Amino acid sequence: MDGVKAALVLFVFGLFQLSVLTEYRQFRTSSIVLVGLLSIALLRGSIFGAIAGFGTGLMLDIATLGTLGVTSLLMTVGGFWIGRYGETTARDRFHAPFVSVAVVTVLYAFGQLFFQFVLGEPAPAGVVTRGLPLALLVNLLLTLPVYALIRRLFPPPELGDRVREVRLLG
Amino acid sequence: MSTDRGGGRRFAAPEARLGKPVPRNRTVRLAVLGNSVQRAAASGYPSSRSSALKRRIVVGGLVLLSLVLITVSFRSTALDGVQGTAAGILRPFEIAADRVSRPFRDAAGWVHGLVGAKSENEKLKRQIDDLRAQLVLDESALQENVLLRQQLAYKEPPSLVNFERRNAAVLTNPQSAFDESITIAAGTADGVHAGNPVIASSGGLIGTIDRAWKSVARVTLLTDGQSAVTATDLNNPAAVGLIRRGNGSGDALIFDRVPKAPNVEVGNIVITAGSLGKGTLPSMFPRGLQIGTVSSVSNNDIDTFKTIQVDPIVDFSALESVIVLVPKR
Repeated sequence: MDGVKAALVLFVFGLFQLSVLTEYRQFRTSSIVLVGLLSIALLRGSIFGAIAGFGTGLMLDIATLGTLGVTSLLMTVGGFWIGRYGETTARDRFHAPFVSVAVVTVLYAFGQLFFQFVLGEPAPAGVVTRGLPLALLVNLLLTLPVYALIRRLFPPPELGDRVREVRLLG
Repeated sequence: MSTDRGGGRRFAAPEARLGKPVPRNRTVRLAVLGNSVQRAAASGYPSSRSSALKRRIVVGGLVLLSLVLITVSFRSTALDGVQGTAAGILRPFEIAADRVSRPFRDAAGWVHGLVGAKSENEKLKRQIDDLRAQLVLDESALQENVLLRQQLAYKEPPSLVNFERRNAAVLTNPQSAFDESITIAAGTADGVHAGNPVIASSGGLIGTIDRAWKSVARVTLLTDGQSAVTATDLNNPAAVGLIRRGNGSGDALIFDRVPKAPNVEVGNIVITAGSLGKGTLPSMFPRGLQIGTVSSVSNNDIDTFKTIQVDPIVDFSALESVIVLVPKR
């Protein structure tokens, strides 16, 4: 059930991103899909995040008629990493979604740039760097409502359910 | 409670309650928590339940699949059919999303337009007066031109009349700061093919078709780093050069490779030059497509060419529909 819900939410976010948000040049570097994906990954874990990231990235690559797999790869890694963060240290921390979105926004932008460069496309690092502060700001502003919505749709598991075993380190 | 041999009292606590014997060298941590504290397994994080191995297999598989997709998609056209079909399936949803959001965007645009409406109105009224006067002169020149062409049986290079127009909606806009491509709702089924010029409804050049699928196509915008088009100054046809992307992050273009001799002035209109007869291959662009107006001109003693900046006539950030120019057979 969670899978269907996640697919629907990310599909709607994807359409909003493709048809509305990117019509304005200043919002092209920001991504509501990325914020939504990271929120879901944070609440549902690494495997869920990785699979959701792959599917979302594939949808974006298909819709924009771009090179298949590029966005999928970046979003898979982003979803997995933040999912892992959610499973371990980020539990019940207010700042977790904001930190996740900020870090992944920067890495995602440079990841895209890296793939552009590797695939022989123009990769203007200056354009990306100049656009980053605004992208960060918009994504962080989007985080609050998007995370609240995602948290309502995907309520976090109870503490007792989440913790199965505590093992001592050392 | 019972009494021992000495008559003292002792607690009859069973031995089992004391637990296992504790090793002498135990640490404080061991004393408090033991080796591990087990709790009842319950449903929760799906990923928490899965082992590290499962996690690695899933993410490794997805990363590998992505890399395979990148390789196949970049190196061959094997996935083009699948991608085109999938994009065709997504098309109605994109159009629906655009239609749903259109009234809100129109309202925002209307409010935004109110800010400079008064000054713009005055400016446009002045422009209308100037253009009316210009129109009379142009009409007489046009009639004279047609008459002379007929008398001379003049064979002209391809112009707009040699192209059919295919109107198409814009499906997606550029998706990142450096992405300068859009997708449109027209493809090979409509006669659209790679290399076809794309213009706005105002007549300004937008770019060229990069790749075409059955029902969708990707357009590389004029602002892309890899786009270049031969252009000329409408007022001074001797000024021929290349229009390409400027160095800034905006939509400004550079009119490059223009020799210093021809006089190019600020405000002049830059158009596509079409086929000039110098090269072995004809230009894919017909002559006369508007590109933009010259916004600055500077001469540098060191450079061989002028530095000319051009403001595009098309607002690349607000494209809703485009016209693809398909050569007539």
